[in-house]
Amino acid sequence: MSQELNRNFTVLKEKADPPPYFISYEVTEQDYRGISGTLGTISSTGGGKERAMDVSVRVGTTKLDNYHNVRGDRGQFTEGALLSVEDNANAIKRRLWQETDRAYRSAAERLIRIKTNTQVKVAAEDDSDDFSSEPPVRAEEALPTLKFDETGWTERIRKLSSHFQNYPDVLTSHVSVTAQTDIRYFVNSDGTRIQHGRGFARVVITASAKAADGTDLSTSETFEAVEASGLPKDDVLMAGIDRVSQDLTNLLRAREAEPFVGPAIFSGRAAGVFFHEIFGHRVEGHRQKDESEGQTFTKSVGTKVLPDFLSVMFDPTRKKVGNIDLNGWYDYDDEGVKGRPVLAVDKGVLNTFLMSRAPIKGFDHSNGHGRRQPGAEVVSRQSNLIVESSNSVPETRLRQMLIDEVKRQNKPYGLYFRDITGGFTTTSRAGLQAFKVIPVIVYRVYADGRPDELVRGADIVGTPLASFAKILATSDKLEVFNGYCGAESGSVPVSAVAPAILVSEIEIEKKAKSQDRPPLLPSPVPPESSRSSAQ
Amino acid sequence: MKFALSLGGIAITAGLVVSAQAPSADPVLQSMHDEMERSRKLMVSNLESPYFVEYLLDESDTFDVGATLGGIVTERRDQFRNLTVHVRVGDYKFDNTDYVGSGFPFGTRYDLERFPLDNDYMVLRRYLWLATDSAYKSAVEAISRKRAALRNLSVNEQINDFAHTEPVHLVRPFHKLTIDQKAWAGRVRALSALFAQYPGLRTSSVELNAGDGGYYLVNSEGTEIKVPDRLSYVRARASAQAPDGMTVRDYAIFQSIDVSGIPGDAEMTKAFKTTAENVVALSKAPMGEDYSGPVLFEGIAGPQILAEVLGKSFSLPRRPVLEPGRNAAFNSSELEGRIGSRVLPDSFDIVDDPTQKEWHGRPLFGSYEVDREGVVPKPLRLVEKGLLKGYLLSRQPVRGFEGSNGHGRMPGSYGASATGVSNLLVTSSGAVPVAELKRKLLEMIAARGKPYGIIVRKMDFPSSASVEEARRLLAGAQSGGSRPVSLPLLAYRVYPDGREELVRGLRFRGLNTRSFRDVVAAGDDTVAFDFLDSQAPFDLMGASGYVANATVVAPSLLIDDLELHPLEDELPKLPVVPPPELSSR
Repeated sequence: MSQELNRNFTVLKEKADPPPYFISYEVTEQDYRGISGTLGTISSTGGGKERAMDVSVRVGTTKLDNYHNVRGDRGQFTEGALLSVEDNANAIKRRLWQETDRAYRSAAERLIRIKTNTQVKVAAEDDSDDFSSEPPVRAEEALPTLKFDETGWTERIRKLSSHFQNYPDVLTSHVSVTAQTDIRYFVNSDGTRIQHGRGFARVVITASAKAADGTDLSTSETFEAVEASGLPKDDVLMAGIDRVSQDLTNLLRAREAEPFVGPAIFSGRAAGVFFHEIFGHRVEGHRQKDESEGQTFTKSVGTKVLPDFLSVMFDPTRKKVGNIDLNGWYDYDDEGVKGRPVLAVDKGVLNTFLMSRAPIKGFDHSNGHGRRQPGAEVVSRQSNLIVESSNSVPETRLRQMLIDEVKRQNKPYGLYFRDITGGFTTTSRAGLQAFKVIPVIVYRVYADGRPDELVRGADIVGTPLASFAKILATSDKLEVFNGYCGAESGSVPVSAVAPAILVSEIEIEKKAKSQDRPPLLPSPVPPESSRSSAQ
Repeated sequence: MKFALSLGGIAITAGLVVSAQAPSADPVLQSMHDEMERSRKLMVSNLESPYFVEYLLDESDTFDVGATLGGIVTERRDQFRNLTVHVRVGDYKFDNTDYVGSGFPFGTRYDLERFPLDNDYMVLRRYLWLATDSAYKSAVEAISRKRAALRNLSVNEQINDFAHTEPVHLVRPFHKLTIDQKAWAGRVRALSALFAQYPGLRTSSVELNAGDGGYYLVNSEGTEIKVPDRLSYVRARASAQAPDGMTVRDYAIFQSIDVSGIPGDAEMTKAFKTTAENVVALSKAPMGEDYSGPVLFEGIAGPQILAEVLGKSFSLPRRPVLEPGRNAAFNSSELEGRIGSRVLPDSFDIVDDPTQKEWHGRPLFGSYEVDREGVVPKPLRLVEKGLLKGYLLSRQPVRGFEGSNGHGRMPGSYGASATGVSNLLVTSSGAVPVAELKRKLLEMIAARGKPYGIIVRKMDFPSSASVEEARRLLAGAQSGGSRPVSLPLLAYRVYPDGREELVRGLRFRGLNTRSFRDVVAAGDDTVAFDFLDSQAPFDLMGASGYVANATVVAPSLLIDDLELHPLEDELPKLPVVPPPELSSR
């Protein structure tokens, strides 16, 4: 890689017009196996090894280059071309050469367009550079190898997935396992040479059903670890299947939520997702410079953005919380910059943003958060988001505080959000500066001591600045949400770690739902009876 | 092998079928049969029940390996089953198909993911149950929209929507994919390393795709089928850039029903070296110029041009019912409405024969016992003494023709199957030696005072172009007026003294079914051309989810009055950086 990089860089610098001032190659090698099953049968097995390459060629100067963002339009140069998985010099060098040529052409073409554009438009408010200088890094880490017991897991998936046969109300269900190693090789013309990697393993349990009124319902649970051998034992996974099935069965019978404004508690996992969506995406550095973005926090550095008992850290160096493996750690980001902890909010005050090598006003350097999925261009992204609180109380106390707040506001009930699958947030200026998160398990917590009641079909809606001001207190127990976050630079592994939070006011609205009837014919075989005759 | 084909014997009454078949021993067929029985009772409010339900389950086990310059790029083993449920409501005269929204999933799609690979009767039933429910709801929605659309249209002629056919019972065992993956990966790696001897190439690759499996088909008319559907191939591709920036390319492919039928390394090495040499020669060849006059399609180019231009036109897709003012993707056939008309000189006959398994001791690639609608095919006369006698038909009736002739070979549009050729056998009673064809070509150009004639030895069909290039060709052809034809890969100028010169960058203009009326002569060198037929433009390689094995057997052809025109693409500059050196080991 470095030979071909140097050769291309040297010749292009000499002969090309405009010449490049920077080139980098990143090769991502992914080796994976997966098995998925339903009701005691295997529905797919697969695996393979791939190497994808991402070439970055910069022409112009660090002040203005081909990656310059023109009102929301980002340059796309890499295509994530597949490279030989074997260390064959002919095959690899040829492909690198072709991709460098292709990326160089589109880089040179875009630079000309940008130069024209900057001449006809008014000056941008943030006139920071397009690319930061970072010291070269050399690191050769030990690389992971994929370990996966195919036969063992095939049997386990059959056994685990057949456990759903105990739940006749579940219409479709799946249990899958995947194990993967992700190795990255990175070289650039500054002299950086890095190899590093890590493993990912995951069990995903999903179930769906359809209520009599047509509402589609689904529940899921996931378990993550660095290696497949670190995934939970069958009894834990079985308990997960029981929870997923029981939740779904309860949801089928639950009443539909009504639009509501009032106090609520987010469980630690739900609060993690809430912070990831509402806060995390708004401190991604590149959004502060892009004039099509809402720039909620761009000018808030040094000012209070959260209650002063909350701090928010993004820490890619943290691998575990308690005994739970975190999903969002890495040693180096996709620009070859070492991942480092970033204290974004310190005691309520905004400190800094998540930075890639694209500088913004006041922040000239990367803090190791330039990330991508192979085939996408790097932007600043979240890693492990960790919410810390100095106003924490035991969970029972937090619940009492919720009930007190409900009474104070003269509401019949408050809400408890146990699980949130994900959400959307619009950060662009043209859209509403609002968010919507999708809770799966929501309870009404009554002020008069009635038992909690599960409701379905609610979406949380709100605006970010207003929501943060309404956080009253947190619990003293951190919970972990592991997942994958999708944005401009593709899907990247992340975690969100938070205590449960109490908010004085949240708004929910009715979710859009399907008008289709449930299946017209009853199930061909009652699931209970099938166990005895299944092969 | 036990022959289990039985025709007829089952009564059809108004779409409701009483199957007299003994329960099948196969758990897949058994679960399909049992769930089918129940699906007849499907009904929503006061809307109609299905008059026809069909389950088509494809099963596939594939091994792919691809390499470039001696390094493996991809290697994958994949097993899957894919279920297609066809539910028809209404009746044979008028149903939910042949409407622009037919086949579109309206409403609920249950979260079924992939169809189970294990044969657990109960789980199979569950999957069939939910998939049928979705298909039925979509069918009911489609027929009501179709009726609404027709309210505002005047219909000249009512053609039925579905043809009756005899139920068929045919069960054959599937073959298990037995392949030495390691050995094959080694062969593909070694074959791809051949291209490292040609530094002038820009890209090259060799890939193996070995697949085994088949399909199950059960319908409510009593048809019950399990038949193998098999295909393996090794394909090499290479490209280079000419000094003016133009990309030139060539490919070679070996196809077989069974992976053991792929030739040995010696034969493949020879072919792939020829591919590399062709590309290098093309990169140095002069650019072609405008030409109009006789063209000789020699060797494989004869059957290629027949497969692409005539073969495709024997299919008659039906224009779907549309809401007024809406458009739908639809390509009509140039042969529509031309029964009895001349398509070739009267020395020509064309038969499509899926039942023929061999030709001169060579296996025919396009043979099959039953099509994907469960219809048993017979030999079909398409052209007799140069006159059009028939079409390739599925169970979708077309104007003037009702009743399938067993050519519903691929998934089609708007709820119907697409038709395709099987073994298309083209014969001419007036064949002359191939050398005679070239002499004739030279005579013709001499008579017209032309400096040279054109010989085409290979067409890019099925096309090895990139998706972007294919898109450009389609767009370019539309402005030209005629339906596009793939590019000639190997075209030569032949001068009066017999000397030949390779040229690049030509395309045909106005080459269509009518051109075959100007066939001057056919050679006595009949060539068998195997290919993967698909619904993609130019049968573009890798662009279609389903391909059908097909063969065209035909002679070299000398055709008069064809036009060739240089490509007018904008050409990229050559790379600033020269290619990296290739090490020999």
